[in-house]
Order: sequence, then C-alpha cells, then structure tokens
Amino acid sequence: MPSTEHDVGAVSDFGEREPVRVLVDGRAMVFVRAGDRVLAARDICPHQGARLSDGVVCGTALACAPGDEVRYGRDGEILVCPWHGWEYDLTTGHALADPGRVRIATYPARVADGRVLIRM
Amino acid sequence: MRDGSAPTPAPTNGGIVDADAHNYINGIGDLAPYLPERWRQYVLQSGMEMPPISIYPKLHKAAARRDSWPPDGGKPGSDPTFAREQLLDLWGIDAAILNPLIGVSLVRNPDLANALMRAVNEWTADVWLAADPRWHGSIMVNTNDPEASAREIERCAADKRFVQVLLLARSEGLYGNRRFLPILRAAAEAELAVGIHFGGGPNPLTPSGWPSYYIEDHTGMTQAFEAHVTSMVCEGVFETLPGLRVVLIEGGFAWIPALMWRLDKNYKGLRAEVPWLTRKPSETIQECFRATTQPMEEPPDSKHLLSIIEMIGRDHFLLFATDYPHWDFDAPDRALPAVVPKELQRRIFSQNAREVYAFNGA
Repeated sequence: MPSTEHDVGAVSDFGEREPVRVLVDGRAMVFVRAGDRVLAARDICPHQGARLSDGVVCGTALACAPGDEVRYGRDGEILVCPWHGWEYDLTTGHALADPGRVRIATYPARVADGRVLIRM
Repeated sequence: MRDGSAPTPAPTNGGIVDADAHNYINGIGDLAPYLPERWRQYVLQSGMEMPPISIYPKLHKAAARRDSWPPDGGKPGSDPTFAREQLLDLWGIDAAILNPLIGVSLVRNPDLANALMRAVNEWTADVWLAADPRWHGSIMVNTNDPEASAREIERCAADKRFVQVLLLARSEGLYGNRRFLPILRAAAEAELAVGIHFGGGPNPLTPSGWPSYYIEDHTGMTQAFEAHVTSMVCEGVFETLPGLRVVLIEGGFAWIPALMWRLDKNYKGLRAEVPWLTRKPSETIQECFRATTQPMEEPPDSKHLLSIIEMIGRDHFLLFATDYPHWDFDAPDRALPAVVPKELQRRIFSQNAREVYAFNGA
C-alpha cells in the first residue's frame, strides 16, 4: 500500500524534546521535535508494551574503554522507555543495548509551513 | 490530535494476584501520627528521615516508573487511589500484596526502631488496607530485635488483612541463623508466609565487597537470596517449623535448579554435619519456598524459561508479581512468555499465591 503523508498538528503543539503521543490512522505514534527536525516512531516499547511517549528524550553515555572519561553525547536523539529504561536511537529505531535484535519502527516526519507531517 | 487516553492492556487469562507491590511514605512525617509521643517529638526535633535501603542511584528517580508519580505531587506508591487506578483497576488485579520497603531495621536505636516498626504497620492498615479490599499487607519487622518483632507479628496477625511477614534480602545475618527463629516461629504460628524481598542494608551485597554499579547490585541480588535459602535449609528451619512457607520476592528464579543440584550433591557427603535434616535439600526447597516472577528472567529463547520452570519441578513454585511502581515493573499481559502452558499460567497468575497466602476470601 502506498504511503500517505499525514498532517498531525501545528508545530506549536509539539514542545521541544517533549515526546508527544498522537493517533495516526488509529496507530499510536510518538513524535519528538527539536527545532525543525521531527522524529517519529510507534508509541510502544517492544519489550513490555510501555508507552514511549511517557519516556524521556535525552542523550546517553558514549561508548568508551574501561577507565576512560565517560562522556555524554547524542543529546536529543535518544528516547528512554519510562519503565525499564531501554534506550532507543530515534534516528534509526534501534535499541542501543541490542541493536541487532530490538528496534522500534520509525517513520519519516518533517515540518512544513508550521505543520508536522508524517509519512506512513 | 494528541491521544490522552489511558493505556488499554490486553486482558489476561483469568484472575491475577500481584505478589509484590509497594506502598511508600512521602517522608517520616507520614508515620508521625502512629508514633508514641516520645518518638514523635524525637523525630520532629531531630529532623531525621528513614535510612535508605539501597545506596545506589537508580535509572529513574525514586526507582520508579516515570508514569507512576501521583498527580498530588507525592512519591510513587504514596497515593492509594492513584495506585489503585494505575495497578489494580487497569490490569484487573484481584489482590495485591503490599511490601513497604521502609528501613526500620537500619535504625540503630532499638526502641525507636521498634516504634517505627509498629508505626509502619499501623500506617499500612490505616492508609492502604482500609482504602481497598484488594490490598493485602506485609508486616514490617525489626530484624535486630526478633523478640519484639515476634510480638508485633502476633499483634498484627489478628488483622487478617495482613498475609505476610516481610524481611529484606541484604540483611545483617542469614535468616536460618537461630537468632531469627522468634520471627519465623511467630509467622508460622500465625500461619503467615514470610517474604524475603530484594534490598536492605547495611552490608554489601557480595561477600567480597561493594560493587561499583547498580547493574551489579541489581543482577547480583540473587546471591543474597541463595545465601538465605541455603542457610534456612541447612539450619533446619523447616524441620523446626514444618508449616513455614517462605516467598522469595524479586530475587529471580533461574538460579534455583542449580542451587538444588549443588546442595543435594553436597548433602550426600556432608549429611552428618546437618543430621537434623530429614530429606534432601531440594525437596525442602520445592515444598517450603516460593519465588515471585518479577523481574522475569528473559533468555533469548523463551523456551529456556519453561525448561527452568520444569527443572524447579513444582508447578506451585512461582507467583506472578509486578513490583509496581518500580522501574523494573513486569506487565501482566507481557511478562510471562506464551510458551508457558495455559494451566501453568493460571497457577502462576493466581492459584499459587492463593495457596500460600490466606486471603480472607479474596
């Protein structure tokens, strides 16, 4: 089935780095906006079904060697599940701890003329 | 277009008993109405708070699900109405056992600790058990004063809404040690289960010192549970108190077969050291212990979980638990893999808990 672009609301309805739950064609989606960039994914954690929109948008501790200084990075690109803390890369949907097996479905989203649009 | 609706979990098969939920105080002030005047004044003047039962910062504030903060601004697990809506009503839970993780035994002043012990139990009854008949209570004890604890068990046991005596896994002694016998005896005489729950203090979890990280503490808590099970079996607790049942809460269960095999093997050669034992350690473990499921062990192949359950060898052994409102909550509709047969699921979700706990008709 060809994908359709859906208008899901005004940019002002989507606070900076605030995960927002929206039903699109009956499917629950979570949107995260940073400026004019919008990331969108299914609003359910594949682990135990928590709403990712109750989670937090943040960065993460970057990989390093034992004993190295632990640095923070990727701010705004990580969505953390509100229950068990599974971290998802919003740009790919992959779980940081197990990217080969666990991911959330992400969808292309954008801002145009003050509106948030998603293609799905 | 925002969706502000409440979550709609999938229905589970049959009734649910949650063998581990938590009621919290917002601060020691919540206990003040239940303290004798001497200790109420002491608490107010000193500004003391209850000692924490874990020193590790958690992933989420208050070790809680991010969606479990009540609208009144209180701590997760502090509002019986909100907890009822978010746990009991949402998931259709028939009965939930409250484990107040309040560090009574970490208070060094023995008289204050005993006063706080009684205050916690009265607060549980007043604020929680009175709020909804689906809540059932665990009796907090002061493990540093087993005699006073035994009297408190006897006092609380008259209130049939209490169904368990609560101990913490990271303790200052192994619970098979004779000094704890008054607590265990009082529980057995009152026909109450004894629950040993994750957490505690002040000793490190491992016999070799403090781990650096919470992930080590959380994963390694099984060591404390193994130590208590081994102690209680070898010290002959269940020969002394054959009716006693002990529920291992939030300690996992995949380790149990390995412990049974190891104990049975050693028993063959070392039996004379513990001649009071009347049967193989594994048989005592199978009959006298239970374990809650949360946090469910999650092998990559869920069939392996079923194999572990089969190795434990008793369908009555596991009790479902959510651990609400904590961050490692297990959802009733997702936690137990589908490979577990329906009849066994029914036992785990409900019947096993009803056989261990006297629910007063719930």
